[in-house]
Amino acid sequence: EVAYSQSTGQKEQLSRCLQRGIRRVQDLCKVLQLPVAFEETAVCYLQRALQLPAFHLASLEKKELLGGCCVLVACRQRRWPLTMGTVCSLLYAQHEAFAGVFLSLQRELGISVPALSLADLVATHLSSFRLVQPSASVPAAFLEDKEKLLARTVAIVELASETWLVTGRHPVPVVTAAAFLAWQSLRPGPRLSCPLARFCRLAGVELPPPAHLRLRELLDILLAMASQLSWLRGFRLDKKSVVKHVGELLQHRLFLLKHAFSQQEQQGTAPGQDSGSHSPAVAQQQGCPSAGQGQRGGTLRPLLPPCLIHPRKRLRAVAPSAPATATTGDEPISDSEIEQYLRSPEEIQAFRKAKAW
Amino acid sequence: FKDDFSTSPHLFTPMSPYDLELPIQASSHLSQSKELHTDFSSVDLSFLPDVTQDNKEQNLSEDGHETQKELDGSLASKEDSGVFMEESSLSHPGAAQPSPEAPGVCPPLTPITPATSASESSGIVPQLQNIVSTVNLACKLDLKNIALHARNAEYNPKRFAAVIMRIREPRTTALIFSSGKMVCTGAKSEEQSRLAARKYARVVQKLGFPAKFLDFKIQNMVGSCDVRFPIRLEGLVLTHQQFSSYEPELFPGLVYRMVKPRIVLLIFVSGKVVLTGAKDRSEIYEAFENIYPILRGFKKPS
Repeated sequence: EVAYSQSTGQKEQLSRCLQRGIRRVQDLCKVLQLPVAFEETAVCYLQRALQLPAFHLASLEKKELLGGCCVLVACRQRRWPLTMGTVCSLLYAQHEAFAGVFLSLQRELGISVPALSLADLVATHLSSFRLVQPSASVPAAFLEDKEKLLARTVAIVELASETWLVTGRHPVPVVTAAAFLAWQSLRPGPRLSCPLARFCRLAGVELPPPAHLRLRELLDILLAMASQLSWLRGFRLDKKSVVKHVGELLQHRLFLLKHAFSQQEQQGTAPGQDSGSHSPAVAQQQGCPSAGQGQRGGTLRPLLPPCLIHPRKRLRAVAPSAPATATTGDEPISDSEIEQYLRSPEEIQAFRKAKAW
Repeated sequence: FKDDFSTSPHLFTPMSPYDLELPIQASSHLSQSKELHTDFSSVDLSFLPDVTQDNKEQNLSEDGHETQKELDGSLASKEDSGVFMEESSLSHPGAAQPSPEAPGVCPPLTPITPATSASESSGIVPQLQNIVSTVNLACKLDLKNIALHARNAEYNPKRFAAVIMRIREPRTTALIFSSGKMVCTGAKSEEQSRLAARKYARVVQKLGFPAKFLDFKIQNMVGSCDVRFPIRLEGLVLTHQQFSSYEPELFPGLVYRMVKPRIVLLIFVSGKVVLTGAKDRSEIYEAFENIYPILRGFKKPS
């Protein structure tokens, strides 16, 4: 008599490492409730990866993460919005270690991994919000219809994307901030006084630290847009009151994006190009009243990524080694220059006494 | 110098309000740059078929690589990720830091054929930020002894098996191993790297070791520049996906692995570009000239 587990030759053909990896992939797919096809794709990538020396000879720690990376790749390729943060928490993995394995996987297998789709991410992120279902801990005024919240959040995320708030930034905080704004704006009355932190607690989601910054940036954009809506100009809106008008601003966003920001994007022209467009560019950059101004007056800010509007670093002085003192590499080296780096006998004695060499 | 820049508007675009840098000065009115070195003694160019050294010099000088561009010091616009780029190391996981190869093993260089003609050149010249070189001092070294006798040395064998030594001019750092091999980082030009390496070798000599200076080789060069317009990284990764990797969850920049020349570029939303992986500065210039038209395609029309 032969035990069933011993009779199936299939398992014997797979290395233990691969078996463990496949099990990990299966567990992840089950927890994430992914379609069956995803598991097959992930296992396929796993098998290919483990055949390469880069992974075959990698540490066990890295192999643990490989299964998660394959699942992530499979999800990305099928536009299933799974974040790295989620996979890391499921694997109890260090973010940096996971990142390293993911990038190696991409490079070694030569696969192109599509970007995470924000619109899809919004849908899955919001479905985990507790504010869309009635519950004892949620005040009635805070409860919101899921479809309405979803539609408005997606619109705000798109606005953020168009106004350079998304490129180069972590996607989840943008979605969190957008969801918060959307939720507040759908019923400002009772909700304006609720801060972001409390919103996240009630919703049962984590508050990522950058979300506060994203929220502030979004409000700045909305305020700039509001300044160009004639019926809002009289209100002198601030960061709180503008939330009440988010719906209208989104409705007219195409028009407002064109007119609420100065058209400053052309000054990337190369220095060598001598073109006639030099004078309008000068006018804009000098903040000339005729250009760069909205319909209602007041200088408009340019539509640029925040890192360009508020550059954080100081200017570093240009290195003095310009044409005058070009190094050849063969300069004579004086003894005195070298000797400044050597310890004197007294120093050495003192050092010896201090350190237990 | 500031006055000079402002009185020659035909050479550059006027300053933009968000940009506090001095504009880039084309080199046409500067004297022929001495930094345009023709010392390729450490680089084996014997395989090059078409491009002669004269051609190369001409192309390079037209690009005006001897500039006085003032860096705003912001090599990356890192918003939320904790990745910080220092002058001598890039801590992006596994992507942009090629490790210095063992001296003596010279990987084949790709032929240097400029992709764009000089008349289409961007007029922007990447500035070198860091040079990594290696040299063989060809004698066994007692690291404890060196650490004891040198003021500018750091040695913590439990942490790292080399002495870390620094000199002020050129401002560089060296890793000195007991085998006699040495790595020199932080220089801003090939010549400075070589000068610095020689100084370290002299220090070691003065400490009583019969140090030589063999097989000096530039292992990596890092350059950076600014295209002066914001870039839609999401678009770039779509159209150039076989070369690009853009993972905002990991790193704010897009990693572009150019095949010819074999250079890795980090492209940021601010328009700043970092180029690394070069063994010769012409590779950096060529890589930038290749990427510039691609980036211009992603400049949002006003």
